[in-house]
Amino acid sequence: MTTRPVRLLGAAAGVAGVATGVLGLVVAPPDAVQGDAQRLMYVHVPAAWVAYLAFTGVLIASIGYLVRRDLVWDRHARAAAELGVGLTALAIVLGSLWGRPVWGVWWTWEPRLVTAVVLLTVYLGYLGVRGLTTDSHAGARRAAVVGIAAFVNVPIVHYSVVWWRTLHQPPTVLRPGGPAEAIEPAMLLALLVGVVAFTLAAAWVHLRRVAILTAAASSERAPKMDGPVATEPLTVTARTTR
Amino acid sequence: MTSMQQTMAVLRREVAVERAGRDLARGLLPVAIAGVLLAGLAFGPAPSVLAGVTPGLPWLVVMLLSAHVAVSVAAAEREEGCWDLLVGLVGPGPLLWGKTAAVWLWLLLTWTLTAWAAAVVLGTALAATAVPAAALGTLGLAAGVVVYGTVAARGGRTGTGLLTALIVPAGVPALLAGTQASTPGVESLPWLALLLAYDLTSLSLAWAVFPILLEE
Repeated sequence: MTTRPVRLLGAAAGVAGVATGVLGLVVAPPDAVQGDAQRLMYVHVPAAWVAYLAFTGVLIASIGYLVRRDLVWDRHARAAAELGVGLTALAIVLGSLWGRPVWGVWWTWEPRLVTAVVLLTVYLGYLGVRGLTTDSHAGARRAAVVGIAAFVNVPIVHYSVVWWRTLHQPPTVLRPGGPAEAIEPAMLLALLVGVVAFTLAAAWVHLRRVAILTAAASSERAPKMDGPVATEPLTVTARTTR
Repeated sequence: MTSMQQTMAVLRREVAVERAGRDLARGLLPVAIAGVLLAGLAFGPAPSVLAGVTPGLPWLVVMLLSAHVAVSVAAAEREEGCWDLLVGLVGPGPLLWGKTAAVWLWLLLTWTLTAWAAAVVLGTALAATAVPAAALGTLGLAAGVVVYGTVAARGGRTGTGLLTALIVPAGVPALLAGTQASTPGVESLPWLALLLAYDLTSLSLAWAVFPILLEE
């Protein structure tokens, strides 16, 4: 099912993505210390932020399911979790690619990286819980419980760079005093447009996925016929008799 | 029968089941002993290295065995067909607290045995605050084990594998803070406070979500 608003959302995400590419690769200057490697920030940070957003969506949809007991909420939770898992994995891979030239290593045991992997593992477990039963409501209930409990990890990941002394840099934009003194305006613009692009793309993917899950649920509810379909002999009768 | 009496009845039942079958004892003891011996072989014989490894070793063993303990939370009763009877006889609260108390006991015994074996075999000592840290850390972990054990009870082998993915991340605060509070020379008070916060969060979440898991 692709409605006009969903198609427009996809088109807007595409335009914002192209704008992010132009702003990030052409308009924004290279970092004075890190050089061009810093340009990975324009995809790494939006991926991480939108993953947080997706997991917040899992929390809201899980609570929504437990309150309403409507599987529509469960489909939203599942779609958001799949999106969040994909984006978290993307953020980890991009962070590793960024860390190699800047830190000299692909991976290091520091709090932000470890908590991000823990977050990914928890939500992979969340998706795994869904496969434990064929009863839609039983699966939704268990998934909702795990979806609520798992959200505890999201603020831990975000604040890990504040609570511990880490190799990972502290927040640049979401920090006390605002981003003005910490980042060049052209870089900030590219970053914010990147966040918009990722958010629109995530919303588009989410709605498409929910539509697919809804269609799959409808087809499961439809009566199934066992064996070959019995056909009646074709008889032709006149529409009118004269 | 009051809630406390029901809780104690569930706990006594768990202990009686373990005494009759000794399933957990047979699973936990060899792994705890083997964990200490293998750690000694892998990281020894330098005393400085063993001293660095020892505070985290009991927690590592507890974390690895927690998925095994989680299987016993509800899977055995489901296989024997008495889960619904148990849920019908006692309320969600006493069932949760009784099960949590039993799991806490198993995890604390595992930690104690491993710490004692590590002290004897590896010849290293833990900080005095290791004991309260163990009590606090295993309590929060036990609540998570009961919740996830109930979630995965119908999953069979898939559920058992899944438990590792769910419980290990849930126990990370206990692993980190418990290890730090067990290390001689480390200021333990902030880590004990973290474990207390972990317990409150874990027990509150378990109390909030456990009744939902019992709906069938």
